[in-house]
Parts: sequence; C-alpha cells; structure tokens
Amino acid sequence: MDEKHQFLIETGPAPRHPSRHFRSAVFLAAIATLALGAIAQAAKSGTTTAAHRAQGQARAAKSQTLPPIDEAYGSKGAPITFEVFSDYSCPMCRNLYEQTLRPMINDYVAAGKVYLVHRDYPLAIPGHQNSPQAARWARAAARIGQFENVDAAFYDNQTSWATDGNLEKYVAAAMSTADFKRVQKMMEGCEPPGPTGKPDGINLPPHPCSLDPYIEQDILAGNQVPVKGTPTFVITYKGQRYPPGSGFVSWPLLKQFLDSLLSQ
Amino acid sequence: MPQDRKNAGAIFLIVGRLALAAVFLYAAYVKLKPQGGMGWSLGSLRVSLSMFAMQVDSYQLLPPWGVNAVAHLLPPFELFLGLWLLTGIALRFSSLVTALLLSGFFTGMVRAYVLGQEISCGCFGPGEQIGPRTLLRDGTLLAVALAVTIGAFLIHRRKEASTGPASLPPGRTV
Repeated sequence: MDEKHQFLIETGPAPRHPSRHFRSAVFLAAIATLALGAIAQAAKSGTTTAAHRAQGQARAAKSQTLPPIDEAYGSKGAPITFEVFSDYSCPMCRNLYEQTLRPMINDYVAAGKVYLVHRDYPLAIPGHQNSPQAARWARAAARIGQFENVDAAFYDNQTSWATDGNLEKYVAAAMSTADFKRVQKMMEGCEPPGPTGKPDGINLPPHPCSLDPYIEQDILAGNQVPVKGTPTFVITYKGQRYPPGSGFVSWPLLKQFLDSLLSQ
Repeated sequence: MPQDRKNAGAIFLIVGRLALAAVFLYAAYVKLKPQGGMGWSLGSLRVSLSMFAMQVDSYQLLPPWGVNAVAHLLPPFELFLGLWLLTGIALRFSSLVTALLLSGFFTGMVRAYVLGQEISCGCFGPGEQIGPRTLLRDGTLLAVALAVTIGAFLIHRRKEASTGPASLPPGRTV
C-alpha cells in the first residue's frame, strides 16, 4: 500500500454503515465476472477465427489456378495497393466510392501512386439480395475491360437497382451494344442467388455460374483479413500490409495517410 | 470491521487507478507505435497518427480538421493521463477526467453500434471492430473509473470533515 493511502486509513473516520462491505464485495465481484467473461469470449473468438482462417487459406490456395480477371484501377506497379472489400448494395460502400475512391482514382491512381483493387464481398443480409448478381455482372464486364464503367454505374444508381433488381439497364448504359451483348452471353446461366460472404466462410449458390469462382476467391481472401463488415480496406506499401480499416473514411484523411506513407 | 472496510476501499482505489493507468498507457502506446514493420521515428509517428485519424474519421462525428485535432492530441493526452493516474496525485481529479473521457468514448461507440456502422473501435489500435465485446470492455472500464472517482471524492470529503484540509501534509491530496 502506498504512503498516501496508509495516511488515509490512519486518519479516516469510523464507518457508519457496515452493510457497505457487502455492496463493495458485490461490486468488485461483478467487475471481476465481467472481465473474466470478456477474456473467455476473446479466447474463444480467437480460436474460432484461427480455424476459419486456416479453412479460408486452403480454399484460396485451391482457387489460385484461376486465370486473373482484375477488377482494378491503375497500374500494378504503383507503390501503394489499396484493396477494398465491398458490397454493391451497401450504402457506406457507395459513400466511400463516391466521396473518397473517386477523387483517389482521379488523382493518386491517375498519377501512378495507387493501385486500387475492388474485391467482392456480397453480404447475405436483408436488402442486399441483388449484390451477388451485381458482383457477377461487374466480373463479366471486367473480363472485357469494362469494369470501371460498370463499377461506377452500380454505385451511382445503387438506390434504384438495389430495389428493383434491374441491373442490366445500368450495365447496358455503361458500354457499347456490342460489349453489352458479350457480357450478356457471359451471364447466361447465372441465375440468382449468387455466392455471399459470411464471417466463418461462404454461402455457395444453388446454381453456380462460371463467374462465381472469382467472387468466391475474393470472399475467401476477405475472410482471411478478416472482413467483419463492408467496406473494409487493406493498404499495402512496399510489401508491408497495414492493419485493415473499415467503414467510411474521407478523402482528405485517406490522402494524408497515403502521403505519410509515400514520404517514407 | 471498520479497519477492514478502510482497507478494502483503499485497495480498490489503488487497484482501480493502477488498472486504469495501465489501460491508458497501453492505449497511447498502440496508437503511437510504428506500423507496417517500421522503426520508431518521426515518420513512423506521422504514419501511425494518420492511421488513427482514419479510425476517428470512421465515426463520422467530426469534420476533417476536428478529426486531425483529436487524432493528434488524444494519444499524448492518454499518455499523460496514464502517468497521472500512476502517480496517484489528486486522484479525484485524474479519475474524474478519466471517467469523462471514457464516457465520451463509450457514447461514441454505442452510437456507432446502434447506427450499424461496422467500424474499427480505434481504442487499442486498428482492426478491432465495435461489437458487444468492445462495448462490454469499455463499459466495465467506465464503471471502474466512476467507482474510483466516487471513492476518491468520498475519502477526500471524509478526511476534510475529520481533520480539515489545513492539516494535510504538504503535497498530499486525494
């Protein structure tokens, strides 16, 4: 015991309510129980996460044989890679795209400082039922080099297609008729629902299509991060991966962070 | 029995303030420590604080200048508060400041959770999602800070009533 508290014990007045002992003991016991509960839950969660990561790594390794279809902006040689795990129906993902990623694309991606990679992480939650189908359309568009137009069209018109599910209208408007026909052909047999992500793995669709392995690959990569909500972003600079960020971040603050990395 | 009660109160105050001091010192350390395999330097500090600024920004409560002010002032303040709690000087004031700060954190976290913002807490560095576990932890810390504050004020009042502030040895205060 330190000197100060010893002083207080020696000089403090006599207690008037002995029942306070009991209340103090109950309070301390409650605090200890809460703390132990939190520690136990953390330990359990850590074990589960490790198991899921191992499962994800195995599946991701299996899918590495896929020919790449990049849903990306800019040059792979850029010093910073910015990967964003996104769901096309998620309003915060739209805000991130419209207010942060768009200025980043026009500035830092165009200047060759950042390579921006879109990763699909469609969520199986109410109101997001059209997300997997949007991810399929975007992947098909990426196959013919039209990803950027479709990506922008989906975010720009999110409130519309997320409600009525009419994705084709926006894909068609984002490219030439000939290109749209090619994309439509790739989408043949891609009946909804598509694959969706969940923290402990992936929900596989009952009717898989040829584009699904790419989306599943992104979901599994997301589970390794781990993605706990969308948007989640991962920044890599000179081979060093920084801890993931989630939610919205404004462009001035993201720019400040990117500048701090580039000035190293 | 009266002596037991005094001992229990004094032990709780010591354990409580040391626990809070450790939490704040650790919180400051993880916010300031170098990220991405960098060594300690001014540059690494800039990167760490910029990363913390993005976490503060994700709460969507402040404009960018406010976010930057909080992100650059909070970690040094947490360091100061941790050291203040560690010394035990003017405990009733240090614990009151701690309780107010934790109330602010807790309110922000509850708001983010209720609004469904799936964001990093930013409490102990990046990558810690706000959820029941983080709310339980921060709620517990707030309860401890409030209990220490109340205890420190009660002891101070009792001491003043029995001995008077003039009888305190120089430099001693609770």
